[in-house]
Amino acid sequence: MKARREASAPPVALFAALCGLAPLVAMAVVSVARIEGYTLALALDLRAWREVAASPVMRGLIGQAVFYGAILACLTPLAAYPIALALARTPMAWKWLGAVVLLTPLYTGEIVRIYAWRLMLGAQGLINAALGWAGLIEAPVQALLYTRLSALIVMFYNTLPFMVLAIWAAVEAFDRRLAEAARDLGASPWVVFRRVTLPLTRVGLFAGMGVVFALGAGDALTPALMGGANGATAMSMIESLFGAAFDWPLASALGLALMLTLAGCVAALTLLAGRARRSARRSARRRGKI
Amino acid sequence: MRARDWRVLALAAAYLYLPILVLSLFAFSDDAVIAFPITGLTLRWFGALAGNAAFLDGFATSMTIAIPVGAISALGGLAAALALRGATLRPRAAWWAAPFAALLLAPFLTPRTVLAVAQSMALSELGLRRGMAVLGAAQVLVILPFTTALLTAALLRVDPRLEEAGRDLGAGPWACFQRVTLPLVRGPLMAACSAGMILSLADVTLATFLAGRAQPLSVVVASEFMREMRPDLNAMQVVVLSVTALAVALAALWRRRR
Repeated sequence: MKARREASAPPVALFAALCGLAPLVAMAVVSVARIEGYTLALALDLRAWREVAASPVMRGLIGQAVFYGAILACLTPLAAYPIALALARTPMAWKWLGAVVLLTPLYTGEIVRIYAWRLMLGAQGLINAALGWAGLIEAPVQALLYTRLSALIVMFYNTLPFMVLAIWAAVEAFDRRLAEAARDLGASPWVVFRRVTLPLTRVGLFAGMGVVFALGAGDALTPALMGGANGATAMSMIESLFGAAFDWPLASALGLALMLTLAGCVAALTLLAGRARRSARRSARRRGKI
Repeated sequence: MRARDWRVLALAAAYLYLPILVLSLFAFSDDAVIAFPITGLTLRWFGALAGNAAFLDGFATSMTIAIPVGAISALGGLAAALALRGATLRPRAAWWAAPFAALLLAPFLTPRTVLAVAQSMALSELGLRRGMAVLGAAQVLVILPFTTALLTAALLRVDPRLEEAGRDLGAGPWACFQRVTLPLVRGPLMAACSAGMILSLADVTLATFLAGRAQPLSVVVASEFMREMRPDLNAMQVVVLSVTALAVALAALWRRRR
């Protein structure tokens, strides 16, 4: 009976390994292959990896991906915490509505969202129209569209629901009477948040940060369509190396270098989360003894 | 629930929906130039869509891919969720649960372009052709974490004693699943199916690399959209949004009704 209940895992795992893991292994093989004319020959040639390591452009693009991901992972919690806490206090009968409202923008395609934001941020868009109408600006603000800022604005919009969901789940799971008790004992709302709510929802926060980091760093479409002249990403470079330049080893090496860098960042975040949890537990124990 | 909470939620909803509202508004604007202020309202952009062959073909292709992708990712998610719930019921024997979850989550966290390029390379090394089937498999791969999470949450609300009662009354494992567990999660299963469908419709990156000659609507729109913004593209987005909204509403209903 034990074996039977878990029998549904292997087929799914097999599918994921075949369609997800195997192509990445193939990519690793291609990254050390040699180009001979128009075909690839199996080899152990580190030319592509050396080129990635030596190229300031490629290193810069990987750094930019990390930068986008890190900025989003740090900024989204600021907006997500108030929303998640408010959602958690919503009466039970209304929670499903909150979930639908939150999830629907996630389901609209990336293209729809980017398109909508172009209408918001353009020279004749809503924000410039509103500012002009209020008499705050003379000429439309051009910096809102086709810059790094506009790409970040849209990526923030895209990733915020994931952060809210992660924190919301954590807030629902912890006993909110603890926060109420702290309030009753005279702590200010900010102290309650910092000393009670934040430590108890840290797991959700770190999970959300990991997801938002990965999504922000891996987004190629938003910078390409919103970033204008600054729209190049490591992903767009991989695409052109793979397609137009037909340098598959280099495309593979860059892709894997990007993935390894991102995985390293997430691993560091996980370690940090583990250490923070342990030290919190230690200090709680110490306080308990005194 | 305090007044301040309502204000926060209203503000959040406004932020999330304002871009979508503006987009919808311009689809009804009479002016061919997309700019404020709006001078008049019209339905002619929607009429123009009916005569647009690229749009209609793309829509048909998208639906041909999205419906099976939705169904398969819901069933795959159910299989994964059943296993994961088994693991939470007996955590000691479940050393495999964490690596299994990581294996499912990894493709979702991999940059889409990297995943799609890797899959394209693997396909060409194997001599397989790109097309709808390959694209569908790739989409199921990145949608599985969503459906698995949704169905795991639903299964954890099912009381395991109900299934034990079924077993005690002599039902075999399959009968027990089919007559006890499945009816209890039918709503969430339908919700997962429609979520999978919507996410398939929304995908651009995987489709760009893997669709081959079949061009789904998202790819058609993306290539038009690189160049310009037109009122009939707005109308097209409103049609896509309406399909999405309908599916989300149905999913919410199903999920609540179980």
